[in-house]
Amino acid sequence: MTNGYRASAGIMLAPAVTLIGVFILLPMLLTVWLSFNDWSTQTPFAEARFVGLANFQDIFGSTSVGRDFKGALVNTAIYTALSVAIILPLSVLFGLLVHQRDVGGGTLLRTVLFSTYMVPMIAVALVWSKLYSPSEGPFNQMLGLVGVSPQPWLSSPRSALISIVLLNVWQQVGYFTVLAIAGLTQIPGSLYEAATLDGANRTEQFRFITLPLLRRTLLFSAVIAIINAVQVFEPVALITQGGPVGSTNVLTYHIRRVGIERAQGGLGSAMAVMLMLSLIVVVCALFAFMNRKDDE
Amino acid sequence: MSLAWTSKLALAVGLALLPGSAWAEAVNISYLTHWSPETVALLENAAKEYSKTHPDVTITVRAVPFGDLLTTLRSQSGGSDGATIGGIYDLWLPELARDKLVAPAPEAVAAEVKGAWPAGVVSAASVGGALYGIPNEIDVYALNYNKDLFKQAGIEAAPKTWDEFREAAKKLTKKDAGQQGFGMINSWAAGVVHPFASLLVSNAGELVTDGKPVLDSKQAGETFEFYEGLIKDGSSDPAMATADANTTGPFLDNFVSGKTGMIIMANWWESALKTGMGDKFANIATAPIPVGPSGDKPHSISYSWMTVVNAKAGEAEQKAAWDFLAWLNGAKSGQNGASAMSDILMSMGILPSRSSDIEAHKDKLGTEFLAGYVSVLSDAKPFPVVPGGQEFSESLQQTLEALQYGQISAKEAQAKAQADAISILERAAK
Repeated sequence: MTNGYRASAGIMLAPAVTLIGVFILLPMLLTVWLSFNDWSTQTPFAEARFVGLANFQDIFGSTSVGRDFKGALVNTAIYTALSVAIILPLSVLFGLLVHQRDVGGGTLLRTVLFSTYMVPMIAVALVWSKLYSPSEGPFNQMLGLVGVSPQPWLSSPRSALISIVLLNVWQQVGYFTVLAIAGLTQIPGSLYEAATLDGANRTEQFRFITLPLLRRTLLFSAVIAIINAVQVFEPVALITQGGPVGSTNVLTYHIRRVGIERAQGGLGSAMAVMLMLSLIVVVCALFAFMNRKDDE
Repeated sequence: MSLAWTSKLALAVGLALLPGSAWAEAVNISYLTHWSPETVALLENAAKEYSKTHPDVTITVRAVPFGDLLTTLRSQSGGSDGATIGGIYDLWLPELARDKLVAPAPEAVAAEVKGAWPAGVVSAASVGGALYGIPNEIDVYALNYNKDLFKQAGIEAAPKTWDEFREAAKKLTKKDAGQQGFGMINSWAAGVVHPFASLLVSNAGELVTDGKPVLDSKQAGETFEFYEGLIKDGSSDPAMATADANTTGPFLDNFVSGKTGMIIMANWWESALKTGMGDKFANIATAPIPVGPSGDKPHSISYSWMTVVNAKAGEAEQKAAWDFLAWLNGAKSGQNGASAMSDILMSMGILPSRSSDIEAHKDKLGTEFLAGYVSVLSDAKPFPVVPGGQEFSESLQQTLEALQYGQISAKEAQAKAQADAISILERAAK
């Protein structure tokens, strides 16, 4: 009976497991294998030459290869941290605003917020590159009206990455607001009624009811926001080309430059493996943190 | 006639007709470029003209931004479905040929090119003695300046030396009005490196000699210091000179709107200037690159473009592609003895490289803007075409941008540029 059950479960799982194996696990394993090889992306895999850890030594070394990779890794980390740190609180704030039943126009606001997520990145990039224009951009013109001097935005290594983060926040916050609203609707209204009877004010209700019960939603939002941020590519490719002085050179854009433009498949794969490992470490740390909180 | 003989006869007739049938078979070829929609329309017109006499050949043109051209070529040329023809920058050729992505030209095409183009241009389209592409455009750098701004600043003539250049840049700078004397482009490798290289060769220096980087020379040191001086003077504001993926952006906006006094740029941006400036384009003049303290006369960097054929395309496609390219670049396809390609190039202000095209377009090449470029062509030095050249350019771009933004000194920039260049070119040569 047990063997029959196992056999039928295996048969039913086989198609999904095979697809995952072929289209997800196999490319991942191939990337890991290529990271230990010297290989041009324009040649067959058979021409790859095993070089051990040389690619990893290069990407963490002191030559331009290592400097550029480490710079891109740091830029990606800053971009991700800033994006998540801004998007999550904003999404909860907007979620709370939209979720209020006694305020009119909530559906319209929800639609407006979500609509930014549906705009193609090419259109967003074109419009925002003009909004940020140092000489004729509306942002600087608006700042001028309130007496603030023009900002360099994308033209300065100090502000270019932050400008790209703001663009990302504008586009993504609507999606995460919808997630936050979904989480808020799961919280029973009776909890708030009981808290009100016990004399808890709005701030206390938010701190002791809303936030703890939104934790699972926020964990999911954080993981998705991190993955989205790590994969940032289009605004960099379309607007800044990684500049100025490499200040917006994020890992996905850099891997594309190394692996495809320069055809250095081994080096590009080593960088992709490091990106994957970093992402796994961050997401696991996040889950471990949330589990500890749950235990407490 | 018996059945056996009838069959044999039919087979013989069939075999005899086979090559003809294959030749008459419809062939689809595609052409990948980075040109603007207006220029793509001109190329499509030329393709239609060709198809009138070659109805079996259909040519489609596809354009991508310059920043994506190499990636598209590399990612799509690995298979027969990639573009049959690609317009490429000569710096990319050694690695595309090494990776067998581009096909060597047939003997007849190679012979025609060797006879009709200057030897230097032919060599930039060749690897190991084999010709891989039909050259079309040649670009050189010169000083572009705004005559109105010069007049307002009381400058009578274009600077001829670096001292005069630095002085003019100071006079042209008006920070309160958001005006800079000299525009140093950033965020675009060629836009950063080529003007620097033009100043370097006008100071008797070189980027690479015999495949080895020579950025540790006295001349290169002086060029780095010259850049540092312009930044320290406040005559160049890097925040006003950013480029985007389409090689436009604030650096172009600021020059066309009269916020930048001088810039070192190539002839091909004539069309961008005309579009952005309209009638005010007449304010723009061209002059040779100012000469550095160690230099003897103005020089410029030159580079060329060519069309190559996908080595993975089918035999019939490759044959049709070379035939189309030979026609497009031949002396009979354009107006008044010019090639159709040169007519397209001249619409953008780009200098054609075929000798007969230069002769055919003599009048247009004599306009005030282009004549300044034509005059420096004979003393131009080709940008070094070596394996790893693109990576070398991008690395030097990073170093120069760090210098522009005051992150490193001229001495540090020189040491870093040389060390990086050695490591990049050595690795690429393996």
